[in-house]
Amino acid sequence: MTPHPDAEALAFLAEDLLDPSEERTVTAHIQTCATCAATLDELTGVSRVLAATPAPELPQDVADLLDRRIADAVRERAERGPDTEPTDPVPAEHPSADAAVVPLAAARRRRSSNGLPRLLAAAAAAVFVVGGGVAVVNGVLSGGEDAMQGATPLLEMEDAPDDGEAALAYAPEVVRSGTVYTAAALDEQAARTLGHASVGDAEAPSDGGAQPDGGAAGGAAVLEERSLTPAVERCSDLLEEEFGTRVDLVDDAFYGADAEPAWVLYARQGDRFDVFVVDPRCAQNGDVEPSVLDRTTVDAP
Amino acid sequence: MDAVQELPDKELLTRHAQGDDQAFGVLVHRHRERLWAVSVRMMGDPEEASDALQDAFLSAFRAADRFRGEAQVSTWLHRIVVNACHDRLRRRKVRPATPTEDDTLDVMSNERLGRLGGPPDHASQTESRLDVQAALEQLPLDQRLALTLVDMLGYRVEEAARILDVAAGTVKSRCARGRAKLLPSLAHLRNPQPPPDVTSGRGGANPS
Repeated sequence: MTPHPDAEALAFLAEDLLDPSEERTVTAHIQTCATCAATLDELTGVSRVLAATPAPELPQDVADLLDRRIADAVRERAERGPDTEPTDPVPAEHPSADAAVVPLAAARRRRSSNGLPRLLAAAAAAVFVVGGGVAVVNGVLSGGEDAMQGATPLLEMEDAPDDGEAALAYAPEVVRSGTVYTAAALDEQAARTLGHASVGDAEAPSDGGAQPDGGAAGGAAVLEERSLTPAVERCSDLLEEEFGTRVDLVDDAFYGADAEPAWVLYARQGDRFDVFVVDPRCAQNGDVEPSVLDRTTVDAP
Repeated sequence: MDAVQELPDKELLTRHAQGDDQAFGVLVHRHRERLWAVSVRMMGDPEEASDALQDAFLSAFRAADRFRGEAQVSTWLHRIVVNACHDRLRRRKVRPATPTEDDTLDVMSNERLGRLGGPPDHASQTESRLDVQAALEQLPLDQRLALTLVDMLGYRVEEAARILDVAAGTVKSRCARGRAKLLPSLAHLRNPQPPPDVTSGRGGANPS
C-alpha cells in the first residue's frame, strides 16, 4: 500500500486540484484505506461545521454608528452641492482611510456614559457573540433598560442558497412602545404601533445621523428598539408553530387594567397583521396557547 | 419609501450617484450583515471591523459614480470592504497595536462572558461556535477569508474569487488548505448533535 496522503492532499483531491498522476495515486490509496476514506469524509464535515456556524452578527451599536456616518456623508454632500464634488484620486476599491473614523469604543463609551455598570455593558456585548437561540442575558426586557442598548438582534445566517447570495434568516424586530394595550382599544393601538414600526414599510428611515449620542431620533413617535432576547425568540417560535405564522414585530409592552407586562406579537398575513397579546411567561410552559391573552387582526399601515 | 426599498442594487447606486439621499442607506442596509461578517473575520476584532466598515462605506459612498456596471454591486461592495480591511491590517503591522481600552470589546472576552452566561442545555452549541471561531483565528488570513466566504457565507467559488480578485483555483486551494488545517481542531464537531429541543432552533444549525 502507498503511504497515507496528508490531509491537505485529500482536501485538494476533494476540490479536484491534484495533478492527474497524483490524483490517480491518492484515489487508488483511498480505495484500499479506510482511514484516509474517513479523513476525506471528515473534510466534508469541516465545511458542514462551518456552514452550520452562524456568522458574527452585526451589533446594533455598530449598525447605528454606520447609519450616522452615512447620514453625515449625505448631509455633507448636500451642503457642498453636486457640482463641487471633489474627484477622489484614490480608486474606489482602495478606500482611503483619511476620513476620520469613529472608534467603536468611543461610540460605546458615549452610549454608556450614564453611569452604567461596566459589567452590564459587557454582558450586553456578549449577546453579540453567542447569538441566536442561546439564553445569555435573561430578563433584558424586564430590566436593565439603557444598559442593554448595546445588545444585538439575534440574526443568524442560514444556509446560503445556490446563487451565492447568502440569505439572512429573519428575526422579528423588537420594540418597546410603552403602550398599555387594552381589549377595547386593541385594534387602534395595534395599528398605531405598526404605523410607527419599520415592519410596516420594510425598513425604517435611517435618520439617526444628527443624534451624536445615538439616542432615539426624531421625537416621541419613534419606537425604542430592543434586542431580541432568547425568551422572546422562544415565545415567538412557539407562537409561529402553533398558528403557522411568522412574527415580524414584537412590542414589549403592557396589557389590561393592571398594566401587566405583555408582549404583543405582530405577524404579517398579506396586507393584514395578526396581533397576539401574550404573557411574557409563555416560553416557560412549552404551550403558547394558554398564554395568549388577546388577539386581533388589523390592516397593515 | 416603499419604492426605494424595492429597487435593485444597481439602480440604488445610480440614484445615489445622481444625488438621491436615501438610496445609499438602503443599499448598505441590504448588505451590511454579510459585510460585517467578512470584516470581523478579517480583522478578528469588532472594533477594528467597525473602523474598516466605516472606511469602506464612506469610500463606496464617494466612489459610486465610478462603479463599473459589469460587476455585481454586492461584489463591488465586498471588494471595497476586503480592501479596507487589508489597508488597516497593513497599517497595523507598521504601527504596533495598542491594547484595547477599558471597554470589554475584544471577541475573546465576549466569548468568555458568553460561555459563563450560557445555560447548560445550550452549552454544547455555544462551545462549538466558540471552537469554530478560535480555530478559524489560527488560520492564515487568506485561508480564513476564503473559508468565510465559501463555507460560512455560502458564496460560490467564482463569486469569492471576484471579491478577492484572485483566480477561482486560488480560492479552491485556499479553502482546501484551510479545511485540512481545521480538521484536527474541529474533529470533535464533525457530526454535530442536534440540541435536545430542536424546535427552538431557527436557521443556523442544520443537522444533517
